[in-house]
Amino acid sequence: MPPFELYTPDSIEQALEISGNLSRENKEFDWIAGGTDLLPNYKWHINSKNYVISLSSIDELRKLNNVHIGATVSIYDLANSPTTHPVLAKAANSIASVMIRRSGTVGGNICLDTRCYWLNQSETWRESIDWCHKCDCGTGADCRVIPNQNTLCVATYQADLAPVLMCLGAEIHLLSHKGKRSMKLEDFFELDGIKRNVLFPGEFITHVSIPNDSAEWIGDYQKLRQRDSWDFPEAGVAVLWKTNPDNTIKDLRIATTGLESIPAIHHKEVGEALTSWKGEDSVDDLADSIRKAVKPVQNTWFSPNYRKKMVKVLTKRAFGNLLVE
Amino acid sequence: MSKDKDSKEIQGYRQQPGKLPFSKPGSGGKNSFSKPIDLENIPVSQNGRKDQPWGPHRHDSLISGQVIGRPTALVDSAWKVTGQAQYGDDIRLPNELIGRIVRSPYHYAKILSIDCSDALNLPGVVAVATGIDAKNKFGVLPVTKDEHAMAVDKVRHAGDLIACIAAENENIAREAERLIKIEYEILESIHDIEDGLEDSEYPIHDRGQYHIGNSNIQKRVFQEFGDISSLEKNTVASHRSNWTFAGVNHGFTEPHAVVANWSPDGRLTLYTPQQVPHYVHRSLADVLEIPMHQINVHRTFVGGGFGGKSDPFPHEMCAAILARKSGRPVRITFDREEVFWVNRGRHPSKIEMNLHADSEGRICGIETDALIDGGGFASFGHVTTYYNGVLHTAPYEIGSFHYTGARVWTNKPASGAMRGHGAVNSRCAVEVGLDDLAEKLEVDPITLRLANLLPPHSATITGFRVTSIGMRECLERVKKESGWSEKFRKMPLGKGIGVGCGFFISGSGLPIHWDPNKFPHATVHLKIDMDGGVTIHTGAAEIGQGSDTVVSQSVAEVLGLPLDMIRIRSRESDTSPVDLGSYSSRVTFMNANAAISAAMKIRDELIKAASDITGASLNSLIVGDRRIFDKNDPAIGVSYLEALHKSQEEKGALISSGAYRTPPMGKTHKGAAAGLAPAYSFSAYVAEVSVDIETGKTTVDKVWAAHDCGKALNPLAVKGQIIGSCHMGLGQVLSEEMRYGRSGHLMNPDFLDYKIPSIHEMPEVIPIIVESNDPEGPFGAKEAGEGPLLPILPAVCNAVYDAIGVRTEELPITSEKVFKLVEKKCRLQGISNPLDLKSPRLEFSDLQNTLDKRAQLHSKRDIERRLNSNREEYYNGAIFGLEPTKSPEEIDDNWSVRVIPEENYLLSPRLAGSAWKHIERRNMGD
Repeated sequence: MPPFELYTPDSIEQALEISGNLSRENKEFDWIAGGTDLLPNYKWHINSKNYVISLSSIDELRKLNNVHIGATVSIYDLANSPTTHPVLAKAANSIASVMIRRSGTVGGNICLDTRCYWLNQSETWRESIDWCHKCDCGTGADCRVIPNQNTLCVATYQADLAPVLMCLGAEIHLLSHKGKRSMKLEDFFELDGIKRNVLFPGEFITHVSIPNDSAEWIGDYQKLRQRDSWDFPEAGVAVLWKTNPDNTIKDLRIATTGLESIPAIHHKEVGEALTSWKGEDSVDDLADSIRKAVKPVQNTWFSPNYRKKMVKVLTKRAFGNLLVE
Repeated sequence: MSKDKDSKEIQGYRQQPGKLPFSKPGSGGKNSFSKPIDLENIPVSQNGRKDQPWGPHRHDSLISGQVIGRPTALVDSAWKVTGQAQYGDDIRLPNELIGRIVRSPYHYAKILSIDCSDALNLPGVVAVATGIDAKNKFGVLPVTKDEHAMAVDKVRHAGDLIACIAAENENIAREAERLIKIEYEILESIHDIEDGLEDSEYPIHDRGQYHIGNSNIQKRVFQEFGDISSLEKNTVASHRSNWTFAGVNHGFTEPHAVVANWSPDGRLTLYTPQQVPHYVHRSLADVLEIPMHQINVHRTFVGGGFGGKSDPFPHEMCAAILARKSGRPVRITFDREEVFWVNRGRHPSKIEMNLHADSEGRICGIETDALIDGGGFASFGHVTTYYNGVLHTAPYEIGSFHYTGARVWTNKPASGAMRGHGAVNSRCAVEVGLDDLAEKLEVDPITLRLANLLPPHSATITGFRVTSIGMRECLERVKKESGWSEKFRKMPLGKGIGVGCGFFISGSGLPIHWDPNKFPHATVHLKIDMDGGVTIHTGAAEIGQGSDTVVSQSVAEVLGLPLDMIRIRSRESDTSPVDLGSYSSRVTFMNANAAISAAMKIRDELIKAASDITGASLNSLIVGDRRIFDKNDPAIGVSYLEALHKSQEEKGALISSGAYRTPPMGKTHKGAAAGLAPAYSFSAYVAEVSVDIETGKTTVDKVWAAHDCGKALNPLAVKGQIIGSCHMGLGQVLSEEMRYGRSGHLMNPDFLDYKIPSIHEMPEVIPIIVESNDPEGPFGAKEAGEGPLLPILPAVCNAVYDAIGVRTEELPITSEKVFKLVEKKCRLQGISNPLDLKSPRLEFSDLQNTLDKRAQLHSKRDIERRLNSNREEYYNGAIFGLEPTKSPEEIDDNWSVRVIPEENYLLSPRLAGSAWKHIERRNMGD
């Protein structure tokens, strides 16, 4: 692993001071909490920096209740807290392996770096394919997934929490030495495998807030992968709905992950389906329109074609509970 | 165990208490009484009560009731579970340097120049070496030495070695890697296995006069045995499939690591986790140009090998070269990615399998064509090419056998030997084929197998001498315990059950590096001094499979000692007799036999001493727990130590040497020795699966795994091997593959993307041990390390068919692949929702009764043959009406034995068979 200088502030103020100083000196740095995503990439010399600031000693970032999830709450704690929404707990519990869940954090999972067969490899390996667009080592290399272009990175976002949080209407809260800002989680992501989200250097997530109506949302999270442990989602679908007292559908949200460079919430498809909701048939049509809406590429274990087809199956399965009622 | 009543009686055997003036060294402290003997474990020959169902064994009289047949923790397990075992990278010598290897970024390129000056000038870099420092070739097989320590003229795959660096620490070494300037001329690389069959401008290797045309064919095999001419006439049902098997890696826990050190007296010690230390020993001598006696190969604890640590490796040479140049110890440890570069995993293969059955439900023909992808080097490939064919000539009696095999070089990491070497893929194809054949004949696939088994003590179609066979019992046990008859073709859609069998060598009959008439296969030395502990010296390589334990157990049993009185020295070539190491599942059979014969010599001396002391006759003395006594009057006897000290009077420590060599066997045709073994193991598995029809995901729910290991010397270890084999085989069938991308690069050289099944994918495995009591095996034992892997692949494939009615011809069956097969089936049947597919069903035909009857007759025949030592010979072919006692080619003119194709064949050869279109270079001038 390339050597780096590590800062371990124990308060938000200290963290901001350190990040402010480094920014003023134009020194590039990364935030670290659980390290389960960052350090493997560092070991492979993927966009490693000389300075790293750890957020894991800051107690304020570990607050957890039914409306507030601190950025450095561990995935394990989130999955096992009684205050966590059951679908969110299910998604959290399916992440990687129990050891990684113990270490990895909510903020880290939301900011999970995008992944690609041509990127998540050792330095020697990447050198032998003349690098790639996302980590070009100054060569201006082309994208290896979609050759002959070096403008867009199509590495895949393979984190599980975001789609569920988006369906719950979560808001994300950011902080930097320049101040704080908040937004809907769905507005946090930016469609580019390199930029990925709105965070600018020096900015970090403090927490995610969950709206008060979260208990009214019910649904499911379904995930496609080769093995039931370790593997990142090759496709993930969160479906959450609210029902009227007569058990008819009142509201519906669907979000997907593992299919593009960012997670997506499918307002348009859901909106169209809800205008003429006919129960099971609508589920089938809606699942099909979600399949058409996602655009996976060939850079993970399963082929894009299969992943698309499975999005339809997963969407229908996530509706399982609704159809039973 | 004995009841209390018995133990009281046994306490009466106490040794003349108080008569000795001093305590006996090593007497075991307060445990100076003999342990109560468990009569259940003592054979009839020693008044035990246990009849051996498979008849007596020549080692029965050596059973002392100590450890054989009892679940025994491996003798080195305490080291491992307490974290004190030292693996390759744990060896830290003072003043060590870190070695790093510079690897090729190109698939295939000539090296025009290498400039190391900048790297050498970097402070902290102590030595750099390149191909010119070691020009001699080496390789695991003497016939195919094609490797260099580092590339001499060209690199043959991305990741091939070019140079190596020794530096004060890893960071400096990594920095120095970037300072080595290499100029290449890139050559056109080949990646597709079929391209290897074609002529090429620059074949990956040049084999001189033995080169096959201008192609990249490294080895080709043609074998035709039996009644080929009647095949077409007799066939009523045929199976044909074209398989594609992805390459798989061993996935052992410990990456390769090596430490080399030259001592001041000019000797080299190489610390390495090796399965076959002796071949490294030889190769080091060749490459370093020093005599073997100046080298000590020190095998460290091995964190898993599975065949992946059995070649002599270039990085081992590099460490030695760097240590010699720098005058300091050098340690090289691989990243996981480097493990994939050196690979030696199972060959990616294309196998065409044809099976034919006649109207009696007999297997009248197997025609196999196997093209295997060797990658950049030969490794064990010469043997693998044979094994893909010859290892499926049993356990079934067959009318004809036709095999064409070829191994080609491609610009990929080299394939080699992996657990189940060469047998796994073609076995899968055969067993899935039999399932299909049974479907076509409308019979139960287990009955079809039971009605076509070779009997014990017979010869296969290519002339392998088969002794004990527990195949029938394996099949019957799994059939009964799995509830087969209630489940097969009767379960709902998505649930399935399938069967598969296996057959594997128990020790390769030919020691690769020497004439078996000149040196034995295995040698074991024993030394016992007055403390009574026994030191075993053996070169058998403990790689986690229990090699040290089985050798210790054998000695302990013969000498009537508890296991803790045995210490084993198997690590260093300086102190161990030369041994072939741990491959081809040879250790239990060969080393335990050698250990028994060494221990028998000591036993004879102890009995002689006991006879001198007690006056009892030699013939009536037997060995029990630390005591030698008269079997007719157990009160007459002496303790082990007394006997030992008596026999030490004139010469001090007792030493003995025992050896094992295979008996003469097999035929004489070219390639007859490949697959020849002193015994063979057999296995049958039934797997039950669930298939998610909408996603294609296969989940294996339960496996009943029966394996005939002759005699389970250590049932705990045998069960561990069966369960472990299931896991490894499941990986290959469900998710493991070395996946090459469109640029020819290995896309998944890491354990996140190389998908070894996790605990979630692992089914419950019910290990079933079948003991066929092999007449030549140690106490009746055969192998259990590799054979148990074979049946799991076809059992799962056949279960998937039973569940959803699709047959795969491609491994691994990832959910994506099964999904595609389901989609295709739906399309063909015009079904839009896969949940509407019909579950396969099967009504048995009249042939089922015929087969049932034949299976029952054969069952009686087999029991007679195994119990009657005056049995007649039995050659494959008798089931077709030939005289069983004569080799068929002697009595039947139509019976072919052919190892070179006729011209006719070359008019329309199969895929690998087309390798024979090329003419070997030495024959081109004719």
